[in-house]
Amino acid sequence: MQIPIERFELANGLRVVLSEDHTNPVVGVNLWYNVGSRNELPGRTGLAHLFEHMMFQGSQHVPETGHIAHVERVGGSLNGSTWLDRTNFYDTVPSDRLELVLWLESDRLGCFLPALTREKLDNQRDVVKNERRQRVDNAPYGDWDERLQAMLFPPDHPYHHPVIGSMEDLDAASLDDVADFFRTYYAPNNAVLTLCGDFDPAEARRLVERWFGPIPRGPAVPPLPGRPVLEPFKLGREVRHTSRGGVPLPRVYLAWRVPVYGSPDYYAADVASELLAAGKSSRLYRRLVRERRVARSVAAFLLPVVTGSSAFIVRGNGDAGDTAELERALLDEVERLAAELPGPAEMERAITGLEARHLFELQKVNERADQISMLTTYFDAPELISTELDRYRAVTAEDVRRVAAEYLTADNRAVLTYLPGADVAAPAEAA
Amino acid sequence: MSAPAPDRSAAPPRGPLRPFHFAEVHRRTLPNGLAVLAAEVRNFPIVTVDVVLDAGGLAEPAERTGLAAFAAGLLESGAAGRDAAEIAERVDDLGISLDSGVSWDTAQCGFTCLRSRLEPGFELLADLVRHPAFPEGEVERVREERLSSVVQRRGTPSSAADEAANRWIFSPDTLFARPLAGMLRTLQGVGRAEVAAFHAARYRPDAATLVAAGDASVDEIVALAERWLGDWEGGAGALAPPAVRPRAEGTTVVLLDRPGAVQSEIRVGHVGIERTAPDFFAVTVMNTILGGAFTSRLNMNLRERLGYTYGASTTFAARRQPGPFSMSAAVQTEATAHAVSETLRELRGMQEAEVAPAELDDARNYLAGVFPLGLQTTDGVSGKLSTIATYGLPDDYYQHYRERLLAVTAADVLAAARARLWPDRAVVVVGGDAARLRGELEALEIGPVVVMDPDELES
Repeated sequence: MQIPIERFELANGLRVVLSEDHTNPVVGVNLWYNVGSRNELPGRTGLAHLFEHMMFQGSQHVPETGHIAHVERVGGSLNGSTWLDRTNFYDTVPSDRLELVLWLESDRLGCFLPALTREKLDNQRDVVKNERRQRVDNAPYGDWDERLQAMLFPPDHPYHHPVIGSMEDLDAASLDDVADFFRTYYAPNNAVLTLCGDFDPAEARRLVERWFGPIPRGPAVPPLPGRPVLEPFKLGREVRHTSRGGVPLPRVYLAWRVPVYGSPDYYAADVASELLAAGKSSRLYRRLVRERRVARSVAAFLLPVVTGSSAFIVRGNGDAGDTAELERALLDEVERLAAELPGPAEMERAITGLEARHLFELQKVNERADQISMLTTYFDAPELISTELDRYRAVTAEDVRRVAAEYLTADNRAVLTYLPGADVAAPAEAA
Repeated sequence: MSAPAPDRSAAPPRGPLRPFHFAEVHRRTLPNGLAVLAAEVRNFPIVTVDVVLDAGGLAEPAERTGLAAFAAGLLESGAAGRDAAEIAERVDDLGISLDSGVSWDTAQCGFTCLRSRLEPGFELLADLVRHPAFPEGEVERVREERLSSVVQRRGTPSSAADEAANRWIFSPDTLFARPLAGMLRTLQGVGRAEVAAFHAARYRPDAATLVAAGDASVDEIVALAERWLGDWEGGAGALAPPAVRPRAEGTTVVLLDRPGAVQSEIRVGHVGIERTAPDFFAVTVMNTILGGAFTSRLNMNLRERLGYTYGASTTFAARRQPGPFSMSAAVQTEATAHAVSETLRELRGMQEAEVAPAELDDARNYLAGVFPLGLQTTDGVSGKLSTIATYGLPDDYYQHYRERLLAVTAADVLAAARARLWPDRAVVVVGGDAARLRGELEALEIGPVVVMDPDELES
């Protein structure tokens, strides 16, 4: 299915993509800033995400929490999120309110600093610390991703530390840190704006230029801190950690370094993850859940990230009993990918599933806008929203086998195990 | 082409408004009693189809809590000559997203598919709903899976707090006091015969509606229903409405002990409303102002003013019978008692005076505006058709939904708050560190404090 794409760039460097669709009288406005936790300096982990919160605390012409109030009171929904490589902000509103959102989004990009106060920062610091408690510290398995990141990536790699940050670093973030972060990364030349839905493209372009055009271009963005390039690419050994206590049931995570999102081998690895765990006909579900009953549920997925390395992650949820058997059973299926070519019916099934799920997701203007912003931020190629599936179709059975054999190996693997029981955590082995 | 700076001092005016219309709902009834509700949604080549059955949690005996969910979960474990693996392959070969599950009011089995796979999807769905085999091995396996999820649920602070809240909101003889997904002791004994008997009794065309939304005409849907479900036979009959009673006359504080917890999962709840309550729209607007939106009073207080939580919200779960009202928030341990008293203060505040005109306008416009956002997908629209079917709402209900929201007055909101919020007989559940919290919760003097171990949820 062809998604319409019209793109242009403002003089200040803001890349803009319009995707018209008059099915429903709604419009999605989506901004990606090319900054995430990967840009954080040592001692300031969590700053990118804390900053995202501050973007909802008002700007020169919008009072505290006024952004959210303006959008909610016209019947819109909105949020933002921060991840390893990027930060996004999105609003979906009735289409007659497009200009309101452009005013709000441009005000916090163009006029943020005058409204920044210590009180707002302290309040959002408390909120974020509670977000960390809720999602990580007080949630069973809540630290799985930060543990795997620390195991897979060395301390000087931008993915080593968690997006949410540490409590100490959150406490240490100052008003100056927040202001500097804004000046460094929040500029039109470091952002992509996508509009998707019910608008007239000529009018939308005029409105975008009206509200975003006068915002000055920012300075060049500094290079990523640390060493984003992994040399050698593979981990070089198996890294293991066992976490005891605080969880009701055992769980095993396996993770490998694999090539970044956008590379040909990423797509082959993603097909491998589909063969392993997409649907109940998948290898892990059929063998481990249905037949051998060593797992209660399974998952396999890649992180769509672009800095140095992605991660291929396999998860198996166990019950009582031995996680060694569960781990071995997961590995058996991963190793089989490297040893035998998948059959044509299985390959076809994987593509069918990817294609169908892609289309189901694209029904929402906000989802379409988010994918377009992502593809433009990472690859400068919004049209991939319609053509990326061809890259999956191009993957051969031999590609899957080769990629599995090359990357899903014992010397490139992190193994994270959760066990119920005494609340004593073994110290993590350094990667 | 840098333009002069625009005047940023005020929000820009709105543009031209295009009206929103909920898709027209078409109804047919097949000779065997099966109702068909269909709506065309043509923007993507996608269709969602669901069979909605009067076979939810309210259809199961109290000592078999979880049976309805268990039965629905086993539909894809074998049917009409295919075993579980063959069904899974068929589903994935077709690229359909198949889902079955239950609410208290219904069981649902259905799928979303590309238009080109509609007929084979329909055939498979009919097999699952009409001819499930419930093979012994799968019954045993899925039971183990469900027992695991009970353990998982109770070991997870948020879901353990939800379970405790329902248990204390409703009287023990009310089904809603129990978890829909089941308990260890109610699931342990369930065997194939019981599941098959439940299915035979409740999965019947007179107690079912087929709903469909997407890129297919009403005639196509009806023809497929006739072909695959037209000769489905038997009657389930209507269920007697169960009794719904609150557990306590006054406020009780239940401290679900989790030693060392860094946060407290707070629930403040009581019996709420049924879906067909005459003041449903007033309650919806009232709840939005109290805790149903980011800018609600409660979230603005507990999160944006006090910084105690990542988010606080309230919901009314409206069912055929009155479901629970509940406030929900995870707060840092040291703020627990104050967060509870602020919550009760916000409930009382809704009852003291009419909300301001701007607050009322904002809430009504929010609800009216976000309504179409949920209807961009075929499963969003089919979900509304299921609601019509489940609660016996008029077929044109959603054509008038926004008008009815916008007609709610400040007086209606006040009346709803006074009738439907019970701050003096609420259950307060705190999942947190009892040793640290007991004293300060007692000091609130809102009611007796009962300490409960999560294992007691099973008793």
